[in-house]
Amino acid sequence: MALTPTLTGQPEYCLTCHADLPEISPSHPVETFGCVKCHGGERLALDADLAHSTMRGGQNPSDFSVVEASCGGSDCHSGSAGQDRDHIHRVMTSVQATYAGAIAGVRYAFGAQPDQTARLGIFAIDDAQVTTSTGLTSLAAFDPATETAPPVIAFAQNCLNCHLAADPLPGADYARFTGCAACHTPTAGMDFQPNAPTIHRLTTAIPYTQCNTCHNRGNYSLRDMQFHPRTDLYGRSIERPDDRLQDYYQPIGQFTKCEWELDCVDCHTRGEAMGDGDIHSHKLEIQYVQCRTCHGTLAESPLTRTIADPNDVALRLAFLNPVLDLKVGDTIMVTEKGEALWNVRQRPGGRFEMVGKATGARYTVPLVKGSACTQKLDQQESRYCHECHAVQR
Amino acid sequence: MPSNADMPNGDRLSRRDFLSLTTRGLLSLSGLLGLGGLIRFLSYRPDPAPPAQFDLGLAANYPPGSRTELADARALLIHTPNGFVAYSTICPHLGCRVQPADDGFKCPCHGSRFDRQGAVLNGPAARPLRILRVEEQADGHLILHTD
Repeated sequence: MALTPTLTGQPEYCLTCHADLPEISPSHPVETFGCVKCHGGERLALDADLAHSTMRGGQNPSDFSVVEASCGGSDCHSGSAGQDRDHIHRVMTSVQATYAGAIAGVRYAFGAQPDQTARLGIFAIDDAQVTTSTGLTSLAAFDPATETAPPVIAFAQNCLNCHLAADPLPGADYARFTGCAACHTPTAGMDFQPNAPTIHRLTTAIPYTQCNTCHNRGNYSLRDMQFHPRTDLYGRSIERPDDRLQDYYQPIGQFTKCEWELDCVDCHTRGEAMGDGDIHSHKLEIQYVQCRTCHGTLAESPLTRTIADPNDVALRLAFLNPVLDLKVGDTIMVTEKGEALWNVRQRPGGRFEMVGKATGARYTVPLVKGSACTQKLDQQESRYCHECHAVQR
Repeated sequence: MPSNADMPNGDRLSRRDFLSLTTRGLLSLSGLLGLGGLIRFLSYRPDPAPPAQFDLGLAANYPPGSRTELADARALLIHTPNGFVAYSTICPHLGCRVQPADDGFKCPCHGSRFDRQGAVLNGPAARPLRILRVEEQADGHLILHTD
């Protein structure tokens, strides 16, 4: 079965065997992209071994080793920052990919470097355009063979399973791809064995379970430099609605139990999750959304922006994940950095409504201003809010 | 069974002849296989390029004011008061097929929108929809050129 994708204009025969694969996403229709544009391979071959012999990244063309060839291009995912099309650069420089924060923290803790400023990443990377005060211009590759401190060596051996270039730990709870697909291909709960039937899907509606494949399955202990799986999860807990409360994000035990009905991406912006294009030394340099971002304070309402430009990135994001019909003229919340919280829109009457990006569930966002809240204006960290606002209280 | 020593000289196949015959046979076989491959290679015909012009039939089939989607040609033919106009329905961003919308066209892949004249209303497309040449022949047929 021959297909001539509009984008390449070159016939390919992949669908002879793969006609049953579902479309990977509405943004990548097969009649436009075909298969070879993203996956590589020998487009005219009808022998499986030959056809697959030059595929990029095996089942996963978004692996960082091949992502530029697979997903890059100025009209695709390595365009300019001004057009919000620098996805590959952003994710490659993000702390999730470089693991620079963890590496710097451990090396600093055990005397291998004098401060916590990152010098090393999982791979070497440069950033020619630093835009933030904490941004770094480059990282060298972390090479455990050059380390002398035993804990740092143990860290390298036991604790490098969560960055986006790493293969995950074995087991369904950790099942994810590498590269872009680590987050954008929902794999949580799959029996993720090598050569097993795979999943052909990309989405921006990322459920919390996908984040959990790294963020909530246990903790790395600095005492023994080992990963310790959570022991409070019973059996295979993911994908069970009644488990959501128990299964929700538990960063080193500080579980908020406040916004547990939401998904991580409902609050955390694309800049936080996928990087802002700069190389950072610590996640706190990039993670900044707080309770007040959406709820405001006693003195201030949350920041908003009325969409006037039909090219506003908020409209593009809402188009890709159409859980709400966002339009020019709508007022949405924005963060202090100006990032669009495109799923939180002001409705007639003034109330704000959040729509779950992965669930489509609708919530009215309560505002602190004008409420009976007794917060102190200089106490805006979540721990203060959770003194009252937690599921137990 | 007679041994080689018992066989008359005229019937004996010497080792030299046997090896020579075998070598020639193998060379002939490989030559034939190679020739077969060469013939197959030379007779390969790639898939024909997609057509660059389409006979749309009689112009009278497209009344004034009509907007006709031409799926094969990936085009939209419009009969305006000034004559026939055709727009490519291939999005200039990445090549998805745009769809008619109330205010013009929209791309279902990445959300680009175009007005009724094909101009960009919003990206990511940076260029307008391509206007295609429509030729009305003496016999009344419309020919759409997509190249």
